[in-house]
Amino acid sequence: MSTKPLVLQTQGLTKTFGGLMALSNVNMTLHEGEILGVIGPNGAGKTTFINVVTALYPPSSGKIEFLGRDVSVSHPHRMGRIGLARTFQVVRPFRNLSVLENVAVGAMFGAGGAKRSASEAFGRAEQVLTRVGMKDKISADASRLTIPDLKRLELARALAMDPKVLLLDEVMAGLHTAEIDRAVELLKQIHADGISLLVVEHVMKAIKALSHRIMVLDFGKKIADDAPDVVLNDPNVIAAYLGQRYMQRQHEKAG
Amino acid sequence: MNSIQFAQTLVNGIILGGVLSLVALGFSIVWGIMHVVNLAHGAFIVLGSYITYTLYTSLGIDPFLGLPLTMITLFVVGYATERWIIHWVIRAPLMAKFFITFGIGMLLENLILQVWKADVRSVTTPYSGASLAIGGVNIPLVKLAALALSILMVIVFHLFLTRTRQGNAIRSTGMDLDAARLTGVKVAPIYALTFGLSTMLAGAAGSLVSMTTSFTPDAGARYTVYAFLVSVLGGLGNVPAVLAGGMIIALIQVFVGFYAPALKDAVSFVLLVVLLLLRPQGLFGKPFTSGKAE
Amino acid sequence: MTRGDKILYIVCGLLFAAMALLPLFGASGFLLRTITLALMYAVMALAWNFIGGYTGYSAFGNVAFFGIGATVTGVMMTKMRWDFAPAVLLGGVICSLLSFLIGPALLRLRGHYFAVATLGIANAAREIVAGWDDVTGGGIGLNLPLNTDKDFYTFIYYIFLALTILSAVITYFISRNKLGFGWLAIRENEEGAKALGIDATLYKTLAWVLACFIVGITGGIYAYYNTAISPEAIFNPLYSTTPILITLLGGTGTVVGPILGAMILLPLSTWLLFNFPGIQPALLGIIIILTIIFLPRGLYEYLSGRRKLTLAALLKNPRDNQA
Repeated sequence: MSTKPLVLQTQGLTKTFGGLMALSNVNMTLHEGEILGVIGPNGAGKTTFINVVTALYPPSSGKIEFLGRDVSVSHPHRMGRIGLARTFQVVRPFRNLSVLENVAVGAMFGAGGAKRSASEAFGRAEQVLTRVGMKDKISADASRLTIPDLKRLELARALAMDPKVLLLDEVMAGLHTAEIDRAVELLKQIHADGISLLVVEHVMKAIKALSHRIMVLDFGKKIADDAPDVVLNDPNVIAAYLGQRYMQRQHEKAG
Repeated sequence: MNSIQFAQTLVNGIILGGVLSLVALGFSIVWGIMHVVNLAHGAFIVLGSYITYTLYTSLGIDPFLGLPLTMITLFVVGYATERWIIHWVIRAPLMAKFFITFGIGMLLENLILQVWKADVRSVTTPYSGASLAIGGVNIPLVKLAALALSILMVIVFHLFLTRTRQGNAIRSTGMDLDAARLTGVKVAPIYALTFGLSTMLAGAAGSLVSMTTSFTPDAGARYTVYAFLVSVLGGLGNVPAVLAGGMIIALIQVFVGFYAPALKDAVSFVLLVVLLLLRPQGLFGKPFTSGKAE
Repeated sequence: MTRGDKILYIVCGLLFAAMALLPLFGASGFLLRTITLALMYAVMALAWNFIGGYTGYSAFGNVAFFGIGATVTGVMMTKMRWDFAPAVLLGGVICSLLSFLIGPALLRLRGHYFAVATLGIANAAREIVAGWDDVTGGGIGLNLPLNTDKDFYTFIYYIFLALTILSAVITYFISRNKLGFGWLAIRENEEGAKALGIDATLYKTLAWVLACFIVGITGGIYAYYNTAISPEAIFNPLYSTTPILITLLGGTGTVVGPILGAMILLPLSTWLLFNFPGIQPALLGIIIILTIIFLPRGLYEYLSGRRKLTLAALLKNPRDNQA
C-alpha cells in the first residue's frame, strides 16, 4: 500500500494479564507519514496495545521495532527519548505546574530534549502552545483546566517532545462537534509536519477524516487492517464493532 | 533452649501476640479504610492505660470492669478527634495527614503528662501475682485473661465489620469512596465512627496492657511502632491478617529475644523493610485498595 | 520568577548576611546555640525537600542517615583517630552509598508504603547500631574528643551557616534546570513523567542520594558538636519529623520555604519552651495541627504574593480537604 519505510512495527505481539489474553498475536505496521486509525469495541485491547508499544508493560511475547531497532525490551522513558510520544486516555497532567511548565517538561526530555537547555525548552513550549491554540492559558495551573483543554495539553506535551511517531489514545473523547473539527484540523497539520500518527478513537467522524488505513481490534485480536472504506464495510467489523453499537442504538430507540 | 524453655517462650509469644494484635487492630483499620496513618495511635493506648489506672486507684473499679468504661471514653475522644480535627484534612496529601496525627499525638501525650505526671505507673490488683503452672510452664492469669479478651475483641470486631450494616458501610468506604457515596453511604459520619472504633480498640489495648506492664506518658511511640510492624506484616484493614501479623511479630520478638535480646527489634524492622519491598500488601492481605496507597 | 520571589530571595540573603556577622558582634552563647540548631534543621529541611518536596516521595526516616553519619564520624574520630573533616565526609559518603544501594528498590514503593519503609529503615539502623557493641559502643554510644578551643561553637555555627547557604544555592540551581523539572514531573504524575522521557528511577535515586548525603554530613557535624552520641539521641525520630514540619510550614518544593520555616519554627519552639515550659509540646502540637489545616501549602505562597493572606483565604483552605 505504502512504499514509504516502516517507522513502527509489531510482530506477533501478545500480552496476557494472569489468564486474560489482552493482546493476541497482533501484527501492526506504521509507515513514515502515515495516519493509522485503530478502532474496536471497549475492552478490545487498544489502550493495552499502546501501553505495550510504549514499554509501559513488557510484552508477553512478540516483537516491537521502532525505526528499525528492536525495542521489545525497553522502558517508557527510553521510548520517549528515541521519538515515540503518546497521550493517555485518562489524562495525566502535572496539576500543580503551569500549562507552560507542563509542556516545557516534554520539550526538555523528549527526542528533542538532549539538545535543549531548560530555558530553551520554555521557548519551544511556547511555540507548541501557540500552535495548539492555548497561548492564552500559558500561565494557568493545569489543575484549573477543563477536560478539552487537558486533552489539548496532553497533545501539546507530546508534540513538544519532537516525536517521529505520535500515539493518540482517545484525544477526542468528550469533545463536542466543533471541537472535534478543530482537533481533526490540528492533527492534519501535525501530520503535515512529518509526524506519523497512530490514532485510537471512538469518534467515527474523526477516524474517517484522518485515517489512511484502519486497524480493528476485537478481544485482543486484529480482525481487519485495510483502507477505511474497505474496513468499515467489512461484515466482521460491523458485527464486532459497528454492529454492537448499532444494535445498542436500536435497542435504546426501542426502549 | 530445652523443651520447657521452648514451651515457656512459645506461651509468652502467644500472649504477646494476642495483645499486639489488639494494639495494631485499630491502627490497621484506620489506615486501610481512611488512608490515615495514625501516629497518635500509641498515645490513645496510653490514655486508655491511665484511665483504667485512675478508675482503679481513685474509684476502686476493678480493671476488668473498668475496661468497658475506658473503651467508651476512648470512643468518644476518638470520634470527636476525627470530627473536629482529622475531618478537615481527610483529602489532603499524605504528609499532611501524617503530621496532623503527629500533632494530635504530641498534644495528647503532653496532656497525659500534665494530668498524671511523669511517674511510672502500673495497675496492681490483689490477684495480679496469680499464675497457672502446667508442666513447668508458668502462665500469669492476668496475661491469660488479657490474651482471651484481646482475641475475643478481634473476633467480635471482625464479625462487626463483615456481618453488620455499619460494618459493611465502613468496609465499602475503604474500598471505593466514590462508589460508597453513590450507594448512599454518608462518608463523614462513617469516618468518625471508624476512627472512634479504632481509638476504642486502642483504649481496650491500653487497659489490658496496664494490668501486665508498667507505663509512662511517653510509652505511646513504641506502641505505634508495633502497630506499624503488625499492620504492614499482616495487611491493611483485614482483621484476621492483623491477628496473624501480631502473632508472627510476637514470636519473632520472644524467640530472637531468647538468643539475642539486642537484635529482636532489628530483626523485626529488617523483616518489615524486606517484606515491603517484596510484598507491599502484607503477608495475608489482598491488595485492599486496588493499587492505591493514598 | 515573580517579584515576590525576588523579595524573598533578598530577605534570605539579608538573613544570611546578618547571621554571618552575628558572632562578630559578640552574640551570646545561648543565641548562637539557638541559631546553630535552627541552621542544622534548615540544612536537613533543604535535604528532605529534594526527595519529599520536589520529587514527592514521603521519606519519613531521614534520621537513619543522621544517625549513621554521626556514628561513622564518632567511630572514625575515636577509634581511628581521624580528623573531623575526613570523618564527616566519610560519614556522608557511606550514607550516599547505602542510600544508593537501597534506593532503586525502595523507590518502587509509593505513598504510605514508601514512608513506612523509610521508617522501618530508620528503626532497623538504630537497632543495628545499638546492637553492634564492639564498634559503636552499643546502647551507651561514644564520646568524641572534646574540643576545648574557645571558638569551637562559633566554628560549628559557621559550618552550619555555610552548609545552609550551599544547600539553598544547590536547590536554586536544580530547581531551574532539567533535574528540578524532572523531579516535579515525577511528583505530579510519575507515569506521565516517564512517557515524556524522564528516567524516573534515576531521577528519584538522585534526589534520595543527595538528601541522604546531606543528612549524613549533618549528623557527623552534630556528633562532633555534641561530643556524646548514644543511639537513643542520634536516632531520635524528631530528626526525621522536624525537618519535614519545617518544610511543610515554609512551603514544600520551594527554595526559600525550608529556610524560612526553620527560622520561624525553631525560635518559636525555643521561645515556647522558656515561657511555657510544661506545656510546650502541647502548644507545638496545636501549632502543627493549625498549620496543616489552614496552611496546607505552607507560608511560601502567601509570602511570595501568589495568594493574598486574608482570613477568608485561610478559612477556605480546609474546605477543600474535608470528607
